[in-house]
Amino acid sequence: MSYSATFKDHLAHPRNAGELPEATAVCEQTNPVCGDRLRLSIVVHHERIEVARYLAYGCPPTLVCGSVLTELITGKTTTEAKQLTRADLLNAIGGLPSRKHHAAALAIEALNAVLG
Amino acid sequence: MPQQSWAATDLTFMPDRRIYLDHSATTPVDPRVAGAMVRCITDVFGNPSSVHGFGQQARAAVDRARREVAALVNARPNEIIFTSGGTEANNLAIRGVCQGSTGSGRHIVTSSIEHPSVRGVCAALEQQGWEVTRLPVYENGIVKIEDVREALRPDTVLVTVMLANNEIGTVQPIAEIGALVRERRADGQKHLFLHTDAVQAAGRMALNVEELGCDLLTMSAHKLYAPKGVGALYVRRGVRLMGQNVGGHQERERRAGTENVPGIVAFGEAAKIAREELAQRTTHDVELRDEFERKVTELIPDVVMNGDRERRLPHLSNISFRYIEGEGLLINLDLQGVAVSTGSACSSGTLEPSPVIRALGVDDEIARGSIRFSFGKENTDADIDYVIDALVQAVERLRALSPLNRPLAVS
Repeated sequence: MSYSATFKDHLAHPRNAGELPEATAVCEQTNPVCGDRLRLSIVVHHERIEVARYLAYGCPPTLVCGSVLTELITGKTTTEAKQLTRADLLNAIGGLPSRKHHAAALAIEALNAVLG
Repeated sequence: MPQQSWAATDLTFMPDRRIYLDHSATTPVDPRVAGAMVRCITDVFGNPSSVHGFGQQARAAVDRARREVAALVNARPNEIIFTSGGTEANNLAIRGVCQGSTGSGRHIVTSSIEHPSVRGVCAALEQQGWEVTRLPVYENGIVKIEDVREALRPDTVLVTVMLANNEIGTVQPIAEIGALVRERRADGQKHLFLHTDAVQAAGRMALNVEELGCDLLTMSAHKLYAPKGVGALYVRRGVRLMGQNVGGHQERERRAGTENVPGIVAFGEAAKIAREELAQRTTHDVELRDEFERKVTELIPDVVMNGDRERRLPHLSNISFRYIEGEGLLINLDLQGVAVSTGSACSSGTLEPSPVIRALGVDDEIARGSIRFSFGKENTDADIDYVIDALVQAVERLRALSPLNRPLAVS
């Protein structure tokens, strides 16, 4: 399959890249097989994710998953965010080739880790 | 549904300008070569094996091309076997020599940075009981002649070491290895031969099989501005080679099958042009490459140039950009119309980054961040300026995303 227009847009124009000095939680996950990394930083206020930032190292799907994930979770309550699945993320990206699904798995792992 | 490259199929992101810097993967067909091929397709349709005039016309066209390809490496025309490409030629060389060596031994010496087509055949023979010694390369990406000397055994039948590497462009000491092999042969080890995969080198540097001292040499047409689907194997007179395609007398019984006449004619034309224009192409490529590398070094921090700086092909530059992964950079450049390739794992569909870059003894991050820029005769100074701008932006953008150069603060 081809990558979606959403994918290319996020790759060319990453959203929410960076770190947060005022973060209430920061977590980094590494894919032990391929070495891809995703670091999520969030500010949670009254159970709601007010700001989210990410840093990523790895293949383009990993970079894009970080960008799309931060858009998906911003404004959500932590309970809502915890319900996000790999499939939700893949849908938001417009799909990924099956051999790249590990990128979405890493993003969801990082999300669960940062939400504690 | 088969996976496709979106860059090739989706035009919504097609940039205004497209610059091809992947000449080590393949080259655009030279219009003069295309012209010769089209004339052959329309005018010369006979089967070269036919006795009548149509057939003889095709035979003459193949023979002309054979002379040109032979001249490119200073061989005799009857020492050239046309194949479907470099992979087939490598298979024919290695299997052909090994199977023709009955009783002489079952040991092969090769390098650790060969093209997959050589690596694959050696691994397949290993499964069948052959022993394979893989020579290391060092930080400079070059095998040491002492290691070759040490690896040779009385039962070694073949040394196969590439002339120039396809990822980092380093040129191996084939003439020295050739001298060593000849020496051993003179000492009585009659069935010991040297094969070199010259797919990347042909058309990029002057080649002379006598000076190299090799017994077999592989070439591929599409790396020298001819179309895909045709290659050649030089086999020195006197080498016992077992044919792999059987069932026909073509190519002196060593490669059965009706010849790809238009492809062979195109290859001949490309070989002739490559020989005539080698000096100007080399000067052109070196100037572009050196200017490119100078600007990269000046404008982008934390880069690593992979492979020896001197003993290398004129048109190739392999650079690792720290903190970022090659495929991300490749696709960012592609979005701006610049075509390169990478040794990153994701790109090749494997989990391990390039074995060639790893063989240099560098860490995973360097291997994953490696990009190959390979220049060609149609590239210009203005192309380099454009690519540098695109590269600086892409590297900055990806580094801004990277966690590798920022320690994780304890929260």
